[in-house]
Amino acid sequence: MAKVLSIIVLINLLFLKANASQIEYDGYINIRLEHSLDGSDIYTDRGNITIQSLRSGVYTLQQKPLSIEDRNKLRVLAADNKFYQLKATVISNEDHEEEFKSYVKACMLAESEMTDQLSISLDYTGRIITVSMGVASTSTCEGALVPIDYLKQFVTSVHIRHSATGPTPDTASYIEKLEREREAKERGEVKDNRPFLAKYWMYIVPVVIIMLVTTATNPEGGNAGGGSGGGGH
Amino acid sequence: MALIQSILNILTILIAFSKLSLCLYEDQIGKFDWKQSYIGKVKFASFDSVKRIIVATEENVIAAINIKSGQILWRHVLEDQPGNTVELLDVDKEVVTVTGGENTFYVRGWELNNGVLLWEWCLHTEATNAKWGIYKDKLIHIVPVLNSHLEVTEYEVHTGQNRGASSQISTPWVIDLSKCVLAETYWSCISGEDSTGILYYLNVVSNGNEASKIYKKNIDLLIGNVPGKVGILPFKYTEPSLLLTRNNVGRLVTLNEDNIDVLENSFPLNSITIVNGDQRLVLGLTLKDQNLVIKTTEIGIGENVVEAEYSENLGNPEPIVGICRGTACRLLILTSDNVLCLLQLPNGKMLWKREESLSNIVGIEFVELPVSELDASIEREFQTNSNDILSMLYNRVVTQMKQLTTFLSGKQITSNKLVRDEFGLHKLILAVTKVGKLFAIDTLTGDIIWSKILDGIAPFTMIKNEIILIYEQRNARYPPLTAEYVLIGRESATSKGMLYRFDPISGSSKYGIEKLPYEIKQVMLVPYEDENRLKSLLILSKDDTVHVYPNSADIIIKESLASLYLYTVNTEASKLNGYSFIARENEVKPVSTWKISFGQAEIVAVSARPSIERVHSQGRVLADRSVLYKYVNPNLIALATLSEDPLHKHVLSVYLVDGITGLVIHSANHKRAKGPVHLVHSENWVVYSYFSERFRRVEIASIELYEGVRQSNSTAFSSHALSQLPQVETLACILPATPLVMVATLTERGITNKHLLIALSNGAVNELPWIVLEPRGPHILPGPDENSIPYMPELPLVSEATINYNQSLARIKGISVSAARLESTTLVFVHGLDLFYTRVTPSKTFDMLKEDFDHWLIVMVLVGLIVSSYITKQLASRKALKQAWK
Repeated sequence: MAKVLSIIVLINLLFLKANASQIEYDGYINIRLEHSLDGSDIYTDRGNITIQSLRSGVYTLQQKPLSIEDRNKLRVLAADNKFYQLKATVISNEDHEEEFKSYVKACMLAESEMTDQLSISLDYTGRIITVSMGVASTSTCEGALVPIDYLKQFVTSVHIRHSATGPTPDTASYIEKLEREREAKERGEVKDNRPFLAKYWMYIVPVVIIMLVTTATNPEGGNAGGGSGGGGH
Repeated sequence: MALIQSILNILTILIAFSKLSLCLYEDQIGKFDWKQSYIGKVKFASFDSVKRIIVATEENVIAAINIKSGQILWRHVLEDQPGNTVELLDVDKEVVTVTGGENTFYVRGWELNNGVLLWEWCLHTEATNAKWGIYKDKLIHIVPVLNSHLEVTEYEVHTGQNRGASSQISTPWVIDLSKCVLAETYWSCISGEDSTGILYYLNVVSNGNEASKIYKKNIDLLIGNVPGKVGILPFKYTEPSLLLTRNNVGRLVTLNEDNIDVLENSFPLNSITIVNGDQRLVLGLTLKDQNLVIKTTEIGIGENVVEAEYSENLGNPEPIVGICRGTACRLLILTSDNVLCLLQLPNGKMLWKREESLSNIVGIEFVELPVSELDASIEREFQTNSNDILSMLYNRVVTQMKQLTTFLSGKQITSNKLVRDEFGLHKLILAVTKVGKLFAIDTLTGDIIWSKILDGIAPFTMIKNEIILIYEQRNARYPPLTAEYVLIGRESATSKGMLYRFDPISGSSKYGIEKLPYEIKQVMLVPYEDENRLKSLLILSKDDTVHVYPNSADIIIKESLASLYLYTVNTEASKLNGYSFIARENEVKPVSTWKISFGQAEIVAVSARPSIERVHSQGRVLADRSVLYKYVNPNLIALATLSEDPLHKHVLSVYLVDGITGLVIHSANHKRAKGPVHLVHSENWVVYSYFSERFRRVEIASIELYEGVRQSNSTAFSSHALSQLPQVETLACILPATPLVMVATLTERGITNKHLLIALSNGAVNELPWIVLEPRGPHILPGPDENSIPYMPELPLVSEATINYNQSLARIKGISVSAARLESTTLVFVHGLDLFYTRVTPSKTFDMLKEDFDHWLIVMVLVGLIVSSYITKQLASRKALKQAWK
């Protein structure tokens, strides 16, 4: 029975195009996954992730389906509104091990039919700073009883998250913009882009004021004007 | 439509730029703000005449203080700490100072009257253990080399000319520098622990060409052979002299070549000399039952002991310097809590005092004042626990009778002035200083309402900052219950936790200082109140055990365990740890839930949102009338790390981490960027400043988080439910100044615009609208639209936006903000060497009438308009009637 039942090989396309080229050191990393299904400190084997290349984000994920016993445990955990705990042990090429714990609400995991997301965050050198687990959901639960069929097999997606390059002041385009404006001015092509009102407000305002004053002093005229306006429509 | 659009455009431009001009009218100076200047703990002091005291302090400050009032006449803040200290102060016709550190010293001469710099020269020399002295216009610099020799160099004071170069004097008896003093030009040391030792001394200034002679004297021949440890202390006297100490009394030894003289009298160790004509007085101070005992010994005549009252709020006194004219004497004393005060002798009256510990504040909290007694009794009238009609009636009658009697007796007028005002502009500032003194400062006047010395308390160190925490356990909104605050520090001797729970209004404490039997790792104020409206503290100790304070709150904590989470920042190991809690065997246990490890990188800044901050608008309306929702995560922690890199020198990384789940929401790195890093986190954005090594300039960057067009959990935010990662937008600008501290404004309901308050190294605190730093992502249309300003790579720091106008503030260490009850206003308290308090109104005073608002004019205009409308109505009807008859 203890055979590898599912091997998923995925290439994380998203990070291939976005940040892949930024890390300078590429490496092979193995992550051992263990979980605690009863809220205690005893962790049992869940699976294994092998990242062939951090840069390209190619990884292999092996996870066994849960045994009946484990499914029952998880069901109880979900009903009691407790946490499902995960322990990820990162083994890098130099045989250096580091443990990262993470947790989700068991009921959320159960309700999502064990669809979870593992996010592996890297710093700028490509070193793993944390492994955290999450369940994609828009709301939380406070304990839930789910059918035991839901709790068969983890459907895990792994996200390798690189550190983005921080912003820098964009002086080049600003200088370019100033340069363009200056050139345009020199060529005499300065086109007044201001809207109509901004250009001619000094003429419009007196006219409006005069109109207001005349209508106010001569109510009959104003009425007549209004009437004719209505007729025009 | 185009017309409306263009009107809008003009309006937005006008509004945007009007917000940038936040200046003050001349007659408003000092109306909303106050400034207090300090000098720090006094190291050297000298009376220059009967008018001034010249002081040099441990903050590397030189100042002149008015004897009559204690005011600063002039002050010079010299090179920044640390490493730079004042080594010598000499007051004669001019003030001579030697300041510096790390092998560079500055010798300066200052004019006495106005503190103008007269001359200055610089000296590069060995610094360790050096001693400085002034003798007849010569600056003497002595570097002792243990077990070997002294290196003595003389310089012309005014020019720095080195006359005789340096000379080496063989002194193999210089073994321990704590047993050596410089008495004017005599270098003196003692050997041995007790009376069997020997006193060596030599004159380092050689007369002519002959080598300095070393004199040896047996200590038992000088001060007798009594058991006890013998020490040596420097002493200023008319002749070169020192104090030989044993069993807490000192014997005065005067040195003159081979003639050595020991005075019969014995003095307290902190004695000083005052020369008054021919009289030579030696003064010593001791404390006895909260009374100050001043022992005056007139050399050759006799002793005189005076007792004077001494305030409870002052620490142990130590005299620094004194002066006498006739029978009237003035004595400058420094207490262990860094208070500088001037005593009038012989009656011992305190003329003035300066609370110099306020120059080093390590914890700040704003306190809301309680309602007045009358308001409180009205509130009590409707606040009954029973629903019985009779008891309610009884309650009302009783309280109304009380109100009537207080009204008739006129007691209300005399009640204390610490009463809440309508707009919440009057508050108290609790400030705790590094020496462990707690102050309550009135925001309106800057007066100290009360102070309290907390013996043996020391601050925690958190990312190079020293902090003492103050938490609000209960605010003043629940009369008759008084407000209660708790202060948390560590014991200086053992590093174990120390708590002080007190009433912030009166300063009284029912419990006193409580010592905890463990070291504190993290403290959290639990947001649940007990039946007395008291919030409890959850303390995680160094050995990962959970403690609840007060103990009675155990039940509340256990009930709410499922929603309590905690994180710790370990700067030594560069780790972040998350904890949740479980109740096991009647005890609360922490469970480690997540961890982030930054490896070799060093954590340089951490910022969480202020817990009381409210975000009023949940989204941003776009040009197409859709809403872009903000990602407002109350559990988000922003932190910055710096790591050394062989290729990029330094790399700055900024991480946004969810404090509950430990998920890294966003991370960004800046290569070739180093600290100092200042990080501000507010609403859905983070702003940080750093130094770019590539361009050699200070840059300021911002990150803004949006959820998108759909809000995932609109009712209540939960970190566990994350449907998708937020959209991140970033921007960077050049900051043409060096920031020291950065803080975002805070208002009651978060409707008002956010501004950043940036304290700059030139002593200005600038207000910068957040809108200038807001990332111009694809959701903001370019051009003068949608309330945005065109991007400029270099931030405009306009001088009108300096909130402290022309009052430069020295060595700003922190800015604290608090929301007034008036939505437009934020109260700002800037501390450092100076204290400055003011109000800022980021969106102008939209909810306030100007103080020069003319109420009479508007009443008269209104009355006039009503009257004229009636008259015209009459006239019009008459005219209409006439026309109808035509």
